Amino acid sequence: MLKPSTLAMILAGSRVDELNVLTYYRPKSAVPFGGFARVIDFPLSNLLHSGIEKVAILSQYRSFSLINHIGTGAAWDMIGRNRGVSILPPFKDNSDSLGKTDWYRGTADAVYKNLDFISYHKPEEILILSGDHIYKMDYQDIISYHHQKDADMTIGFVQVDKSKAHRFGIAEIDNEDGDTGGRVKGYWEKPEKPEADWASLTVLIFKPEILFKALHENQISDSFEFGKDIIPQLMKQGKKIYGYKYKGYWGYTGTIEEYWQSNMDLLGDNPPIDMEAWGLRTNMEHRGIRDAQPALLYEDAKVHNSLVYNGCVVEGTVKNSVLFPGVYVGKGAVVENSVLFFNNHIGDNCGLNKVISDVNSEFGQGICVGSEIGAAAENVTVIGWNNHVPDWTRIGEGATIYPNLHTEQWPLVVKPGEVLK
Amino acid sequence: MRAKKEALVLLLAGGVGSRLNILVQSRAKPAVPFAGIYRIIDFSLSNVMNSGLTKVGVLTQYKPLSLMRHLGMGEAWDFTGRSRGVKILPPHTGFKDSDWYRGTADAVRQNIDFLEKNPADEVILLSGDHIYNMDFDAMLEYHRFKKADVTIGMMVVPMSEIHQFGAGIIDDDNRIVDWEEKPEHPKTNLASMGIYVFDYKYLLDSLYKDREEVDFGMHILPRAIENDNVFAYPFYGYWRDVGTIQSYWQANMDVIRRDSGISPTEWGIRTNIEADGRPADRPPARFGNDASVSSSMISAGCIVHGTVKNSVLAPGVIVEKGAVIRDSILFADCIVGKNSTVDLSICDKRAQIMDHSLVGSGMNHDTSNVLHPKHLYTGITLVGKEAIVPPEVIIGRNCIINSHTDERDYPEKVIADGETL
Repeated sequence: MLKPSTLAMILAGSRVDELNVLTYYRPKSAVPFGGFARVIDFPLSNLLHSGIEKVAILSQYRSFSLINHIGTGAAWDMIGRNRGVSILPPFKDNSDSLGKTDWYRGTADAVYKNLDFISYHKPEEILILSGDHIYKMDYQDIISYHHQKDADMTIGFVQVDKSKAHRFGIAEIDNEDGDTGGRVKGYWEKPEKPEADWASLTVLIFKPEILFKALHENQISDSFEFGKDIIPQLMKQGKKIYGYKYKGYWGYTGTIEEYWQSNMDLLGDNPPIDMEAWGLRTNMEHRGIRDAQPALLYEDAKVHNSLVYNGCVVEGTVKNSVLFPGVYVGKGAVVENSVLFFNNHIGDNCGLNKVISDVNSEFGQGICVGSEIGAAAENVTVIGWNNHVPDWTRIGEGATIYPNLHTEQWPLVVKPGEVLK
Repeated sequence: MRAKKEALVLLLAGGVGSRLNILVQSRAKPAVPFAGIYRIIDFSLSNVMNSGLTKVGVLTQYKPLSLMRHLGMGEAWDFTGRSRGVKILPPHTGFKDSDWYRGTADAVRQNIDFLEKNPADEVILLSGDHIYNMDFDAMLEYHRFKKADVTIGMMVVPMSEIHQFGAGIIDDDNRIVDWEEKPEHPKTNLASMGIYVFDYKYLLDSLYKDREEVDFGMHILPRAIENDNVFAYPFYGYWRDVGTIQSYWQANMDVIRRDSGISPTEWGIRTNIEADGRPADRPPARFGNDASVSSSMISAGCIVHGTVKNSVLAPGVIVEKGAVIRDSILFADCIVGKNSTVDLSICDKRAQIMDHSLVGSGMNHDTSNVLHPKHLYTGITLVGKEAIVPPEVIIGRNCIINSHTDERDYPEKVIADGETL
C-alpha cells in the first residue's frame, strides 16, 4: 500500500484576544461556526477532500474543547492503517533546562518541539496550516505547484484590500506563472505601510530538510513564529520560495466584527460560503448533535434568510441569523442579524439585533439585546456562555458580557459598549 | 459490570406492512422513514437502549437490506461492546430446503439456537413496527413481581379499532383470563401492543412443545392463558401502530402538533444517521428571504424558498420559490420545483416534482384508489421513490405515482383522483 507522502500540521493553539469572550474557554479553532460546525472543520475538511490523511494538531490553549471535537478523527475519515489524526500537546522535556519553558513559545517552537514526530513519519513534504481560517482549498494544487517549482517552501496567498494589509503577512509575488503563482520577491509581516497586497493564508509547504534547519536556527532567537520569524529568515537566506495565488473565499475572522461578517456570508441565495458545496464535515458526536430531532417551527414562526439546525424550536421570528442546534426562540421574540450558539434559550418577546451569544445562555422574557429591532446596528453585542439574563434586561449595542455571570451581577441596563465582568 | 443476568430482547422486524403500499416497495415496514430523520424501528431500538437492555436479536425476513444497513453494528443505540450486541437473525434453511418464517412464534423457534446461546431470565419480544415510548425495565419488574410466565403490554383502544389487535379480558389482578385474536365482535377494548415478556424457560418449553404453533397471538398465548400465569401490563402513553397510510400520516402530523404526546427528543430516540450512504453531516436548513414555514418539522440540509405548512421534511428537501407544501410528508432529498404545490401527499426519497405541477389536487378526498381502495381512501396521494413528476401535471387525490416513473409514463397531463401511474 502506498504510504501518504504529505504530513499536515495544523496550528490550532491560539486564543486570539480580539475574539474576546468567545475564546475565553476555547482556542479560536474550536469556536462554533456555520450553525453546526467549528472553525477547524474547514481545514480538516479541506484535508479530507485533498486526500491528505496524516494529520497532527498542535494545541495548547484550553485544548479540552478541541480534543473533544476531534475525537478519533473518524468524522474526517482520518482513521485507518495509514491514516490518522494526532493531537500534540506541550510536554515535559528532560533534556531541556536553563530556564527554557516546555510550553510552546510560538507556532515555530511548537513544530520544533515535535520534530521527532515528523521524522517518525518521514514525509516528502510538510504542510503547515492554521486552524483558524474559513476557506475551501484543494491542497493538492499547491503541493503540485510546490513540486513543479522544486521549491524549498511554497506559501498560499490571497489578495486583500491594501487598507487591511497591515494585519497580515504580506508578499510581493512575481508573475512567473501568471495567475497560478510566482517567486516571492519580498515578504513583510504585518507591515505598517504595505507595498503589496498578497496576504499569507498560513498555508505553508516545506521540504522537510529546509524546515528542520530553519527551526533549529530559530531556536537561538526569542521569537518563534512562522510568519514573523521563519519566513523572513528563509527569505534572507535566499531560499527558493514560491507563492501560490488562491482566488476563493477567505474568512480571516480575526475580530468579532469579521467573525460576525463571515457568519453573514453563510446567508443569501448564493452564499459566499456554501457548506454543502464545500463538503464541510464535522464531528456529529460532539454535543450529541446527531441525535437532535429536526427543527420544529410552530404556527407563528417566521424564518427568513437564515440557517436553522436540527434541535431548534422556533415560535417567534428569525431573520438573517444562524441558529445552532438546540436554540429555542420564544413567542413574540425577534432574532435578527444574530448568531446563536448551541442551546441558547430566547424567552418570549425578546429582541436581539446583531448579537453573538455563546453556548447555553438563557434569556428571560422581554429582554432587548443590541440595537432596536429593524434598526441598522453598527456594533456586535457579545454574550459569553452560561449566562442567565434576567427578565426585562436591556443590553446596549456593542456590549460585551463575560461568561458565567451570577444573577446578582446583572444590572437592569447594560450601557452600549459596556463590558460586564 | 452488571452482575445480574439480563433480559434478552428479540425484535420482530420481518413484517411486510403491505398496507403501507409503495412505501414498503423496497424496504421492510420497520425501515420506513418517520419524522424526518428517523425510521420506525428507531423507536423500539431506543426504548430498548433507554431501558438499559443491551442484548438484542433482530428477526428479519422481508426486504432486509435497508434495515440491515440502518442497524449497522448497532453503535447508534450503544449496542457495541464486550457484552453488548445487536444480531441480525435472517431466515435460514433448517429441516427443509426453505424455511421462511410462518408466523411470529415460528420465527422465534427457528432462532432457538440464538436463545440457547444467550441464557437470560426473561425474553422480551417486541415488534419493530410501532411508535411509542416505554420503559421495559419497569415492565420486567412488574413481570417478576407478578411471578408471571408471560406478561403482555396492553392498552385501551377505541372499540372500532380492536378488530386489528389481539384483545384480552383481565380480572382485578390484571391476570388475563380470556383472549380473542382480532375479534370481529369484541368483548373488550384492551388491546395487545405486541410487547411480551416471557419467562426464559417457559418460552423455550412452549416453543419445543408443538411445532405447529407458529403464531404467538393465534396459538401460544391462548394456550398459555388457559393453563398458566399470563398478566397484562397496562400502558397509558402514546402508542401507534403505523401500519396504514392514514395512521402513518397521522402519527407524523402528531410530531408537529403541540401536546400530542409524541416527542422524539424527550423520548431519547436515537437513529443511525450514517445509514443513508452519504455522510449525514448536512449543513443547517437554509431558509430563503421569501420562505414561509409554520407548524412544520424541517431537517438539516433542507433548502426552503417557498411555503411549507403542517408538513414534515426529511434531510435535503428543496422547496423552490413559489412552491407550496401542505399537510405532507417529504422523504430525503425530494425536490419541489417553482410554483408547484404538494398537498396531502407522501413523497418517497428523491422524488422530484417539476415546476408548475400540482400533486394532491381537488376536493374528492373520498374517491378511493381504484387498485388499492383499502390503502388510500382519505385523500392522501403517494409519490414513489425517485419518481419524476413532469412540469405542469395535475395529480388528484388518493393517487399512486409509482417509483422511478417519469415523463414517458404520463399518458396525459392530468392523473385523475384514485388513479395509479
